[in-house]
Amino acid sequence: MKIKGKHMTCDHTKAKFTDWLNKPSTDPEKIRIEKHLAGCPDCQQEFNEHKLLWDMMGEAKVKAPSESMRANFNSMLGEYKGSIKQKDRYSFENLVQAVRQFIIPQWTVQLTFSLLLVGLGWLIGFRMNRNEKASTAYTEQIDTLANQIQEMRQVMMLTLIENPSATERLRAVSYTNEITHADEKVIEALFSTLNNDPNVNVRLVTLEAITQFANDPLVREQLVHSLTKQDSPMVQVALADVMVKLQEKRSIKAFKQMLRQEDLNELVKNKIEQTIKDLT
Amino acid sequence: MLRVKSGDLDKMGLLFERYHRPLFSFLYHMTGTAETSEDIVQNVFYRMLKYRHTFTGEGEFRTWMYHLARNVLNDSIKQNKSKNHEDVHVMADRIAGGNPADEEFEKRQDAESLHRAMAQLSEDHREILVLSRFQELKYEEIAGILNITEGTVKVRVHRALGELKKVFLSNENQRKAHDL
Repeated sequence: MKIKGKHMTCDHTKAKFTDWLNKPSTDPEKIRIEKHLAGCPDCQQEFNEHKLLWDMMGEAKVKAPSESMRANFNSMLGEYKGSIKQKDRYSFENLVQAVRQFIIPQWTVQLTFSLLLVGLGWLIGFRMNRNEKASTAYTEQIDTLANQIQEMRQVMMLTLIENPSATERLRAVSYTNEITHADEKVIEALFSTLNNDPNVNVRLVTLEAITQFANDPLVREQLVHSLTKQDSPMVQVALADVMVKLQEKRSIKAFKQMLRQEDLNELVKNKIEQTIKDLT
Repeated sequence: MLRVKSGDLDKMGLLFERYHRPLFSFLYHMTGTAETSEDIVQNVFYRMLKYRHTFTGEGEFRTWMYHLARNVLNDSIKQNKSKNHEDVHVMADRIAGGNPADEEFEKRQDAESLHRAMAQLSEDHREILVLSRFQELKYEEIAGILNITEGTVKVRVHRALGELKKVFLSNENQRKAHDL
Protein backbone atom coordinates (compact mmCIF):
# COMPACT_ATOMS: atom_id res chain seq x y z
CA MET A 1 0.00 0.00 0.00
CA LYS A 2 2.79 2.26 0.96
CA ILE A 3 4.55 1.71 -2.34
CA LYS A 4 1.38 2.21 -4.30
CA GLY A 5 0.73 5.42 -2.41
CA LYS A 6 4.23 6.62 -3.11
CA HIS A 7 3.89 5.88 -6.78
CA MET A 8 0.61 7.72 -6.94
CA THR A 9 2.29 10.73 -5.46
CA CYS A 10 5.16 10.32 -7.92
CA ASP A 11 2.74 10.21 -10.87
CA HIS A 12 0.99 13.21 -9.47
CA THR A 13 4.26 15.06 -9.12
CA LYS A 14 5.45 14.15 -12.60
CA ALA A 15 2.22 15.44 -14.02
CA LYS A 16 3.00 18.72 -12.34
CA PHE A 17 6.55 19.10 -13.74
CA THR A 18 5.55 21.50 -16.40
CA ASP A 19 3.53 23.47 -13.87
CA TRP A 20 6.59 23.75 -11.72
CA LEU A 21 8.62 24.96 -14.64
CA ASN A 22 6.09 27.66 -15.43
CA LYS A 23 5.18 28.83 -11.98
CA PRO A 24 6.97 31.29 -9.68
CA SER A 25 8.86 29.91 -6.71
CA THR A 26 6.36 31.22 -4.15
CA ASP A 27 3.49 29.15 -5.51
CA PRO A 28 2.27 26.65 -2.83
CA GLU A 29 1.88 23.96 -5.50
CA LYS A 30 5.52 24.41 -6.45
CA ILE A 31 6.61 24.18 -2.83
CA ARG A 32 4.71 20.91 -2.42
CA ILE A 33 6.37 19.48 -5.54
CA GLU A 34 9.78 20.48 -4.26
CA LYS A 35 9.05 18.80 -0.94
CA HIS A 36 8.25 15.59 -2.74
CA LEU A 37 11.30 15.82 -4.95
CA ALA A 38 13.54 16.24 -1.93
CA GLY A 39 12.43 12.88 -0.60
CA CYS A 40 12.18 11.00 -3.90
CA PRO A 41 15.40 10.56 -5.91
CA ASP A 42 13.48 8.76 -8.65
CA CYS A 43 11.30 11.71 -9.35
CA GLN A 44 14.17 14.08 -8.86
CA GLN A 45 16.18 12.43 -11.62
CA GLU A 46 13.29 12.62 -14.02
CA PHE A 47 12.62 16.15 -13.04
CA ASN A 48 16.23 17.12 -13.58
CA GLU A 49 16.17 15.70 -17.05
CA HIS A 50 13.07 17.71 -17.80
CA LYS A 51 14.57 20.82 -16.36
CA LEU A 52 17.73 20.35 -18.37
CA LEU A 53 15.77 20.21 -21.57
CA TRP A 54 13.61 23.10 -20.48
CA ASP A 55 16.61 25.25 -19.74
CA MET A 56 18.25 24.24 -22.97
CA MET A 57 15.18 25.41 -24.81
CA GLY A 58 15.33 28.65 -22.90
CA GLU A 59 18.90 29.19 -23.96
CA ALA A 60 18.30 28.28 -27.56
CA LYS A 61 18.82 31.31 -29.69
CA VAL A 62 17.10 32.01 -32.91
CA LYS A 63 18.96 34.10 -35.35
CA ALA A 64 17.44 37.46 -36.07
CA PRO A 65 15.41 37.88 -39.19
CA SER A 66 17.20 39.64 -42.02
CA GLU A 67 16.85 43.37 -42.56
CA SER A 68 15.31 42.76 -45.95
CA MET A 69 12.20 41.55 -44.16
CA ARG A 70 11.43 45.03 -42.88
CA ALA A 71 12.06 46.53 -46.28
CA ASN A 72 9.82 43.91 -47.86
CA PHE A 73 7.14 44.64 -45.33
CA ASN A 74 7.30 48.37 -45.94
CA SER A 75 7.08 47.98 -49.69
CA MET A 76 4.18 45.54 -49.26
CA LEU A 77 2.38 48.00 -46.99
CA GLY A 78 2.96 50.79 -49.48
CA GLU A 79 1.68 48.71 -52.36
CA TYR A 80 -1.35 47.66 -50.38
CA LYS A 81 -2.22 51.25 -49.48
CA GLY A 82 -1.86 52.18 -53.13
CA SER A 83 -4.15 49.38 -54.24
CA ILE A 84 -6.74 50.37 -51.65
CA LYS A 85 -6.79 53.92 -52.92
CA GLN A 86 -7.12 52.71 -56.47
CA LYS A 87 -9.87 50.39 -55.44
CA ASP A 88 -11.64 53.28 -53.83
CA ARG A 89 -11.30 55.29 -56.97
CA TYR A 90 -12.39 52.56 -59.31
CA SER A 91 -14.88 50.85 -57.05
CA PHE A 92 -18.17 49.83 -58.56
CA GLU A 93 -20.16 52.29 -56.49
CA ASN A 94 -17.96 55.17 -57.54
CA LEU A 95 -18.29 54.11 -61.13
CA VAL A 96 -22.06 53.96 -60.91
CA GLN A 97 -22.07 57.35 -59.21
CA ALA A 98 -19.90 58.85 -61.93
CA VAL A 99 -22.01 57.37 -64.70
CA ARG A 100 -25.15 58.55 -63.02
CA GLN A 101 -23.80 62.04 -62.66
CA PHE A 102 -22.71 62.02 -66.26
CA ILE A 103 -26.00 60.77 -67.65
CA ILE A 104 -28.41 62.48 -65.31
CA PRO A 105 -26.99 65.64 -63.79
CA GLN A 106 -28.73 67.17 -60.79
CA TRP A 107 -30.57 69.87 -62.68
CA THR A 108 -32.33 67.41 -64.98
CA VAL A 109 -33.91 65.75 -61.99
CA GLN A 110 -35.18 69.09 -60.78
CA LEU A 111 -36.41 70.01 -64.24
CA THR A 112 -38.20 66.71 -64.63
CA PHE A 113 -39.98 67.24 -61.36
CA SER A 114 -41.10 70.74 -62.24
CA LEU A 115 -42.29 69.57 -65.66
CA LEU A 116 -44.17 66.77 -64.03
CA LEU A 117 -45.87 69.19 -61.66
CA VAL A 118 -46.84 71.51 -64.51
CA GLY A 119 -48.15 68.56 -66.48
CA LEU A 120 -50.20 67.43 -63.53
CA GLY A 121 -51.67 70.88 -63.10
CA TRP A 122 -52.54 71.06 -66.77
CA LEU A 123 -54.20 67.66 -66.66
CA ILE A 124 -56.35 68.60 -63.68
CA GLY A 125 -57.28 71.90 -65.28
CA PHE A 126 -58.14 70.19 -68.54
CA ARG A 127 -60.36 67.68 -66.83
CA MET A 128 -62.22 70.34 -64.84
CA ASN A 129 -62.64 72.52 -67.89
CA ARG A 130 -64.03 69.64 -69.83
CA ASN A 131 -66.57 69.07 -67.09
CA GLU A 132 -67.65 72.69 -67.31
CA LYS A 133 -67.94 72.45 -71.06
CA ALA A 134 -70.01 69.35 -70.67
CA SER A 135 -72.40 71.11 -68.30
CA THR A 136 -72.77 74.13 -70.56
CA ALA A 137 -73.37 71.83 -73.47
CA TYR A 138 -76.02 70.15 -71.40
CA THR A 139 -77.80 73.37 -70.58
CA GLU A 140 -77.49 74.43 -74.19
CA GLN A 141 -79.09 71.22 -75.20
CA ILE A 142 -81.90 71.78 -72.75
CA ASP A 143 -82.37 75.31 -74.04
CA THR A 144 -82.48 74.11 -77.58
CA LEU A 145 -85.01 71.51 -76.64
CA ALA A 146 -87.10 74.07 -74.81
CA ASN A 147 -86.93 76.38 -77.80
CA GLN A 148 -87.90 73.58 -80.06
CA ILE A 149 -90.88 72.79 -77.88
CA GLN A 150 -91.89 76.46 -77.90
CA GLU A 151 -91.58 76.59 -81.64
CA MET A 152 -93.57 73.42 -81.95
CA ARG A 153 -96.31 74.88 -79.76
CA GLN A 154 -96.41 78.02 -81.82
CA VAL A 155 -96.73 76.00 -84.97
CA MET A 156 -99.39 73.82 -83.37
CA MET A 157 -101.22 76.91 -82.16
CA LEU A 158 -101.06 78.59 -85.55
CA THR A 159 -102.33 75.47 -87.21
CA LEU A 160 -105.06 74.67 -84.74
CA ILE A 161 -106.35 78.26 -84.58
CA GLU A 162 -107.59 77.94 -88.16
CA ASN A 163 -109.36 74.71 -87.38
CA PRO A 164 -113.16 74.84 -88.06
CA SER A 165 -113.94 73.21 -84.72
CA ALA A 166 -114.37 75.73 -81.91
CA THR A 167 -113.01 73.22 -79.38
CA GLU A 168 -109.80 72.87 -81.36
CA ARG A 169 -109.48 76.61 -81.63
CA LEU A 170 -109.97 76.89 -77.86
CA ARG A 171 -107.17 74.40 -77.40
CA ALA A 172 -104.99 76.37 -79.73
CA VAL A 173 -105.49 79.53 -77.72
CA SER A 174 -104.82 77.65 -74.50
CA TYR A 175 -101.41 76.76 -75.91
CA THR A 176 -100.45 80.40 -75.77
CA ASN A 177 -100.54 80.18 -71.97
CA GLU A 178 -97.47 78.04 -72.18
CA ILE A 179 -95.72 80.26 -74.71
CA THR A 180 -93.53 82.61 -72.73
CA HIS A 181 -92.46 84.80 -75.59
CA ALA A 182 -94.84 85.12 -78.48
CA ASP A 183 -93.60 86.41 -81.77
CA GLU A 184 -95.48 88.63 -84.18
CA LYS A 185 -97.07 85.75 -86.02
CA VAL A 186 -98.70 84.46 -82.87
CA ILE A 187 -99.89 87.90 -81.81
CA GLU A 188 -101.34 88.48 -85.24
CA ALA A 189 -103.07 85.13 -85.21
CA LEU A 190 -104.52 85.83 -81.77
CA PHE A 191 -105.86 89.24 -82.77
CA SER A 192 -107.35 87.91 -85.93
CA THR A 193 -109.14 85.31 -83.82
CA LEU A 194 -110.21 87.95 -81.31
CA ASN A 195 -111.63 90.19 -84.01
CA ASN A 196 -113.04 87.66 -86.44
CA ASP A 197 -113.80 84.40 -84.71
CA PRO A 198 -117.47 83.55 -84.90
CA ASN A 199 -117.50 81.83 -81.49
CA VAL A 200 -117.85 84.14 -78.48
CA ASN A 201 -116.15 81.70 -76.14
CA VAL A 202 -113.14 81.45 -78.35
CA ARG A 203 -112.88 85.20 -78.51
CA LEU A 204 -113.15 85.49 -74.73
CA VAL A 205 -110.43 82.97 -74.18
CA THR A 206 -108.32 84.68 -76.82
CA LEU A 207 -108.74 88.00 -75.06
CA GLU A 208 -107.59 86.39 -71.87
CA ALA A 209 -104.59 84.97 -73.70
CA ILE A 210 -103.70 88.29 -75.26
CA THR A 211 -103.84 90.04 -71.87
CA GLN A 212 -100.71 88.21 -70.76
CA PHE A 213 -98.78 89.92 -73.55
CA ALA A 214 -100.20 93.35 -72.67
CA ASN A 215 -96.79 94.67 -71.70
CA ASP A 216 -96.10 95.11 -75.38
CA PRO A 217 -97.37 98.62 -76.42
CA LEU A 218 -98.26 97.29 -79.85
CA VAL A 219 -100.55 94.71 -78.28
CA ARG A 220 -102.23 97.45 -76.18
CA GLU A 221 -102.82 99.53 -79.27
CA GLN A 222 -104.38 96.66 -81.15
CA LEU A 223 -106.54 95.89 -78.12
CA VAL A 224 -107.92 99.43 -78.26
CA HIS A 225 -108.58 99.04 -81.95
CA SER A 226 -110.30 95.79 -81.29
CA LEU A 227 -112.90 97.56 -79.08
CA THR A 228 -114.79 98.97 -82.04
CA LYS A 229 -114.71 95.71 -83.89
CA GLN A 230 -116.53 93.71 -81.21
CA ASP A 231 -120.25 93.20 -81.40
CA SER A 232 -120.74 90.69 -78.60
CA PRO A 233 -121.69 92.38 -75.31
CA MET A 234 -119.73 89.74 -73.33
CA VAL A 235 -116.53 90.43 -75.18
CA GLN A 236 -117.12 94.17 -74.98
CA VAL A 237 -117.54 93.98 -71.19
CA ALA A 238 -114.48 91.77 -70.86
CA LEU A 239 -112.48 94.22 -72.95
CA ALA A 240 -113.68 97.07 -70.79
CA ASP A 241 -112.46 95.19 -67.71
CA VAL A 242 -109.08 94.59 -69.37
CA MET A 243 -108.76 98.29 -70.23
CA VAL A 244 -109.43 99.29 -66.62
CA LYS A 245 -106.96 96.70 -65.45
CA LEU A 246 -104.32 97.99 -67.86
CA GLN A 247 -105.30 101.62 -67.21
CA GLU A 248 -105.23 102.18 -70.96
CA LYS A 249 -106.32 105.80 -71.38
CA ARG A 250 -106.21 105.70 -75.12
CA SER A 251 -109.23 103.43 -75.02
CA ILE A 252 -111.52 106.27 -73.75
CA LYS A 253 -111.87 107.61 -77.23
CA ALA A 254 -112.91 104.23 -78.53
CA PHE A 255 -115.39 103.76 -75.69
CA LYS A 256 -116.98 107.12 -76.39
CA GLN A 257 -117.28 106.09 -80.01
CA MET A 258 -118.99 102.89 -78.89
CA LEU A 259 -121.48 104.86 -76.77
CA ARG A 260 -122.65 106.57 -79.91
CA GLN A 261 -123.71 103.24 -81.40
CA GLU A 262 -127.48 102.93 -81.31
CA ASP A 263 -127.83 99.19 -80.93
CA LEU A 264 -125.54 99.06 -77.91
CA ASN A 265 -126.64 96.81 -75.10
CA GLU A 266 -127.89 98.67 -72.05
CA LEU A 267 -125.69 96.67 -69.74
CA VAL A 268 -122.68 97.30 -71.90
CA LYS A 269 -123.52 101.00 -72.04
CA ASN A 270 -123.49 101.24 -68.24
CA LYS A 271 -120.30 99.22 -68.07
CA ILE A 272 -118.56 101.49 -70.57
CA GLU A 273 -119.66 104.61 -68.77
CA GLN A 274 -118.36 103.16 -65.57
CA THR A 275 -115.07 102.26 -67.28
CA ILE A 276 -114.64 105.74 -68.69
CA LYS A 277 -115.15 107.09 -65.21
CA ASP A 278 -112.56 104.72 -63.82
CA LEU A 279 -110.01 105.63 -66.44
CA THR A 280 -110.33 109.40 -66.10
CA MET B 1 -4.98 46.80 -34.61
CA LEU B 2 -8.41 48.34 -34.21
CA ARG B 3 -6.97 51.56 -35.57
CA VAL B 4 -5.61 49.66 -38.55
CA LYS B 5 -9.05 48.17 -39.02
CA SER B 6 -10.64 51.61 -39.01
CA GLY B 7 -8.35 52.63 -41.87
CA ASP B 8 -5.14 53.88 -40.24
CA LEU B 9 -2.91 51.53 -42.20
CA ASP B 10 0.28 53.28 -41.04
CA LYS B 11 -0.26 51.75 -37.61
CA MET B 12 0.53 48.42 -39.23
CA GLY B 13 4.20 49.45 -39.21
CA LEU B 14 4.05 49.71 -35.42
CA LEU B 15 2.57 46.25 -35.13
CA PHE B 16 5.26 44.92 -37.42
CA GLU B 17 8.00 46.40 -35.25
CA ARG B 18 6.48 44.90 -32.13
CA TYR B 19 5.62 41.44 -33.36
CA HIS B 20 7.74 40.46 -36.32
CA ARG B 21 10.56 39.03 -34.18
CA PRO B 22 8.50 36.69 -32.01
CA LEU B 23 6.51 35.70 -35.05
CA PHE B 24 9.65 34.98 -37.03
CA SER B 25 11.02 33.00 -34.11
CA PHE B 26 7.89 30.88 -33.89
CA LEU B 27 7.95 30.15 -37.60
CA TYR B 28 11.66 29.48 -37.59
CA HIS B 29 11.21 26.85 -34.92
CA MET B 30 8.34 25.36 -36.84
CA THR B 31 9.81 25.38 -40.33
CA GLY B 32 13.53 25.35 -39.69
CA THR B 33 14.37 27.79 -42.47
CA ALA B 34 14.78 31.52 -42.17
CA GLU B 35 13.80 32.11 -45.75
CA THR B 36 10.48 30.30 -45.48
CA SER B 37 9.83 31.94 -42.12
CA GLU B 38 10.43 35.39 -43.53
CA ASP B 39 8.09 34.64 -46.40
CA ILE B 40 5.43 33.47 -44.02
CA VAL B 41 5.88 36.52 -41.75
CA GLN B 42 5.37 38.70 -44.79
CA ASN B 43 2.35 36.68 -45.77
CA VAL B 44 0.88 36.92 -42.26
CA PHE B 45 1.20 40.70 -42.20
CA TYR B 46 -0.37 40.88 -45.65
CA ARG B 47 -3.31 38.82 -44.43
CA MET B 48 -3.65 41.11 -41.41
CA LEU B 49 -4.16 43.98 -43.82
CA LYS B 50 -6.44 42.11 -46.14
CA TYR B 51 -8.59 40.52 -43.46
CA ARG B 52 -8.40 43.36 -40.95
CA HIS B 53 -12.21 43.49 -40.88
CA THR B 54 -12.25 39.99 -39.30
CA PHE B 55 -10.39 41.26 -36.24
CA THR B 56 -13.17 41.82 -33.74
CA GLY B 57 -11.04 43.28 -30.95
CA GLU B 58 -12.57 40.84 -28.47
CA GLY B 59 -9.50 38.60 -28.15
CA GLU B 60 -5.86 39.55 -27.93
CA PHE B 61 -4.22 40.77 -31.09
CA ARG B 62 -1.41 38.28 -30.49
CA THR B 63 -3.87 35.39 -30.46
CA TRP B 64 -5.34 36.53 -33.74
CA MET B 65 -1.83 36.90 -35.19
CA TYR B 66 -0.91 33.33 -34.23
CA HIS B 67 -4.19 32.12 -35.74
CA LEU B 68 -3.24 33.70 -39.04
CA ALA B 69 0.35 32.48 -38.77
CA ARG B 70 -0.76 28.89 -38.18
CA ASN B 71 -3.07 29.05 -41.18
CA VAL B 72 -0.34 30.35 -43.45
CA LEU B 73 2.08 27.81 -42.03
CA ASN B 74 -0.34 24.96 -42.68
CA ASP B 75 -0.84 26.15 -46.24
CA SER B 76 2.88 26.30 -46.86
CA ILE B 77 3.44 22.87 -45.30
CA LYS B 78 0.75 21.39 -47.54
CA GLN B 79 2.35 23.01 -50.57
CA ASN B 80 5.86 21.85 -49.72
CA LYS B 81 4.94 18.35 -48.69
CA SER B 82 4.44 17.19 -52.24
CA LYS B 83 7.38 19.16 -53.64
CA ASN B 84 10.39 18.76 -51.43
CA HIS B 85 9.98 17.11 -48.12
CA GLU B 86 12.92 18.33 -46.17
CA ASP B 87 14.75 15.83 -44.06
CA VAL B 88 14.30 16.57 -40.36
CA HIS B 89 17.99 16.12 -39.75
CA VAL B 90 18.92 18.72 -42.31
CA MET B 91 16.39 21.01 -40.72
CA ALA B 92 17.79 20.39 -37.23
CA ASP B 93 21.31 21.03 -38.41
CA ARG B 94 20.30 24.28 -39.91
CA ILE B 95 18.52 25.48 -36.76
CA ALA B 96 21.51 24.60 -34.60
CA GLY B 97 23.79 26.79 -36.65
CA GLY B 98 26.99 26.42 -38.58
CA ASN B 99 30.34 25.14 -37.52
CA PRO B 100 30.69 24.91 -33.79
CA ALA B 101 33.41 27.06 -32.20
CA ASP B 102 35.77 25.30 -29.83
CA GLU B 103 34.69 27.05 -26.62
CA GLU B 104 31.06 26.63 -27.15
CA PHE B 105 31.43 23.24 -28.67
CA GLU B 106 29.51 21.53 -25.86
CA LYS B 107 26.71 24.02 -25.84
CA ARG B 108 26.47 23.94 -29.58
CA GLN B 109 26.24 20.25 -29.55
CA ASP B 110 23.50 20.35 -26.93
CA ALA B 111 21.60 22.89 -28.93
CA GLU B 112 21.99 20.79 -32.02
CA SER B 113 20.73 17.73 -30.20
CA LEU B 114 17.79 19.65 -28.84
CA HIS B 115 16.76 20.96 -32.22
CA ARG B 116 17.25 17.61 -33.79
CA ALA B 117 14.95 16.15 -31.20
CA MET B 118 12.45 18.99 -31.66
CA ALA B 119 12.39 18.38 -35.39
CA GLN B 120 11.59 14.74 -34.78
CA LEU B 121 8.54 15.56 -32.69
CA SER B 122 5.04 15.48 -34.07
CA GLU B 123 3.68 18.78 -35.38
CA ASP B 124 1.35 19.23 -32.39
CA HIS B 125 4.03 18.59 -29.80
CA ARG B 126 6.61 20.76 -31.47
CA GLU B 127 4.11 23.56 -31.74
CA ILE B 128 3.03 23.46 -28.12
CA LEU B 129 6.63 23.47 -26.91
CA VAL B 130 7.51 26.36 -29.18
CA LEU B 131 4.55 28.36 -27.99
CA SER B 132 4.99 27.65 -24.31
CA ARG B 133 8.77 27.71 -24.06
CA PHE B 134 10.25 29.65 -26.94
CA GLN B 135 7.43 32.15 -27.27
CA GLU B 136 6.82 32.08 -23.52
CA LEU B 137 3.09 32.39 -23.86
CA LYS B 138 0.74 31.64 -20.98
CA TYR B 139 -1.31 28.46 -21.14
CA GLU B 140 -4.42 30.57 -21.30
CA GLU B 141 -3.19 32.30 -24.41
CA ILE B 142 -2.03 29.09 -26.03
CA ALA B 143 -5.47 27.62 -25.38
CA GLY B 144 -6.94 30.57 -27.26
CA ILE B 145 -4.58 30.16 -30.20
CA LEU B 146 -5.09 26.43 -30.56
CA ASN B 147 -8.80 26.50 -29.73
CA ILE B 148 -8.41 23.99 -26.93
CA THR B 149 -8.92 24.16 -23.16
CA GLU B 150 -6.21 25.22 -20.76
CA GLY B 151 -6.25 21.71 -19.26
CA THR B 152 -5.56 20.20 -22.66
CA VAL B 153 -2.65 22.59 -23.09
CA LYS B 154 -1.16 21.45 -19.79
CA VAL B 155 -1.52 17.80 -20.70
CA ARG B 156 -0.10 18.36 -24.15
CA VAL B 157 2.91 20.31 -22.85
CA HIS B 158 3.59 17.54 -20.40
CA ARG B 159 3.37 14.83 -23.03
CA ALA B 160 5.42 16.81 -25.51
CA LEU B 161 8.15 17.36 -22.97
CA GLY B 162 8.11 13.66 -22.18
CA GLU B 163 8.40 12.75 -25.83
CA LEU B 164 11.15 15.30 -26.35
CA LYS B 165 13.12 13.80 -23.51
CA LYS B 166 12.70 10.32 -24.97
CA VAL B 167 13.82 11.38 -28.44
CA PHE B 168 16.63 13.51 -27.05
CA LEU B 169 18.00 10.71 -24.88
CA SER B 170 17.76 8.14 -27.63
CA ASN B 171 19.60 10.53 -29.96
CA GLU B 172 22.26 11.08 -27.33
CA ASN B 173 22.72 7.39 -26.87
CA GLN B 174 23.01 6.90 -30.63
CA ARG B 175 25.57 9.67 -30.83
CA LYS B 176 27.60 8.29 -28.01
CA ALA B 177 27.52 4.85 -29.58
CA HIS B 178 28.56 6.43 -32.88
CA ASP B 179 31.39 8.37 -31.18
CA LEU B 180 32.65 5.22 -29.53
